[in-house]
Amino acid sequence: MNSLTSSLPTNKGPRPDSRERDFVDETITRRSGRPGALLGILEDVQEHAEGKYLCLDTLAYIAQRTGTPLSQIFSVVTFYSLFSLTPQGEHIISICRGTACHTRGSRDLLEKLRLELGMAEGDGQADKLTITSADGKFTIRTVACFGQCAMAPVVEVDHRICGHMNERVLTREVEALHQEKAR
Amino acid sequence: MPQTKLSIRIDGELVQAFAGETILTVARRAGRFIPTLCHFEGLRDVGACRLCIVEVSGSGRLLPACTTPAQDGMAVTTVSPRLAAYRRMTLELLLAERNHLCAVCVSNSNCELQALATAMGVTSVRFRYRYPKLPVDLSHPRFVLDHNRCILCSRCIRVCADVEGAHVWDMMSRGVGARVISDMNRPWGEAPGCTGCGKCVQACPTGALAEKGLAVEEMTKRGERALQGAIRQGGRL
Ligand code: SF4
Ligand code: SF4
Ligand code: FES
Ligand code: FES
Repeated sequence: MNSLTSSLPTNKGPRPDSRERDFVDETITRRSGRPGALLGILEDVQEHAEGKYLCLDTLAYIAQRTGTPLSQIFSVVTFYSLFSLTPQGEHIISICRGTACHTRGSRDLLEKLRLELGMAEGDGQADKLTITSADGKFTIRTVACFGQCAMAPVVEVDHRICGHMNERVLTREVEALHQEKAR
Repeated sequence: MPQTKLSIRIDGELVQAFAGETILTVARRAGRFIPTLCHFEGLRDVGACRLCIVEVSGSGRLLPACTTPAQDGMAVTTVSPRLAAYRRMTLELLLAERNHLCAVCVSNSNCELQALATAMGVTSVRFRYRYPKLPVDLSHPRFVLDHNRCILCSRCIRVCADVEGAHVWDMMSRGVGARVISDMNRPWGEAPGCTGCGKCVQACPTGALAEKGLAVEEMTKRGERALQGAIRQGGRL
């Protein structure tokens, strides 16, 4: 979170454009009225956005449309590691670095993946890391615990939880994602 | 609706409470002094500072008095060596987390953190000071925010959102990266919602929020004066 506090992402070009605004409006209508609606709205908008991130202008727009104070929306977005304020890769692989997964070798999985995708060390502290490959295809993130410790080590590949992960399977998953792109 | 009466024991003494009241409210009415930092009369409680912990018989854990509702038949201990040790540790951690060099602070000798540290005999800190270099926001025409003195009690956030209705402040991030922000982490002076009422400044227990143009020891706040009085009496707040 350090990099984020010092250099806030600034926006190139007008965002949200009218298409994005329509999507935000539609999402708000679909989700509003339910408790915790804001989280769902933010998640949908991030998933839909180019670069899978929430830029400040989009956040300001959501704040205005939902009547949420700006400070509160920023608080929510920076509290949950699910949200990103900077562009992310097309595919997001989250490696659990919680205790159970750590004891079952999640550090090796992280190293393996990092080398395989040719990524540098990346920024962030050891416990919280986000790296995106130069070609913008992959983002590797670490998370603290998925709450699926019985299946440790756990890796999430594009919102799919994969338990009992090992290096061989992880390599296969990455290959599959590469292939998917090639098609 | 008539309020349901409860009776609870505080440090052995039988006292009356009403359903919905917190242990802190009841204990204070009974003249007990429980140290608090994030609690502020009139604001909703969040249990952020953990200084107000008390022992409740039947529960192995220590509970925050400000957010734990009184229950009929409850027996609460507000003073014990165990509580003193934990409260002291909490205070030391608060002091170690940022920069509390009182000698150069506008709130020196008018600070709730300092007053409690003095009252609790915290003369040294056993942890290494973190001393992060955090910014000072001077953008507001009348007030300053010095993050280095902030203890993240969130009193400014609550008073601005719930009393003034402006909700300029909130807390970003979490853990060691947590920080009070105005709007989307913008300079305070640029917040269109800020009415300049100064409530956040008055509610802040430390020198983190202060009026501009003051020298060391010149910032006095009402909350702090009440606390000093309570410490002197060893009782009612
Ligand atoms: S001066 Fe008043 S309106 Fe402005 S931030 Fe403080 S409490 Fe909110
Ligand atoms: S600025 Fe003051 S009132 Fe606000 S969280 Fe920090 S210490 Fe508490
Ligand atoms: S530690 Fe990895 S899922 Fe809990
Ligand atoms: S006063 Fe109770 S937790 Fe701060």
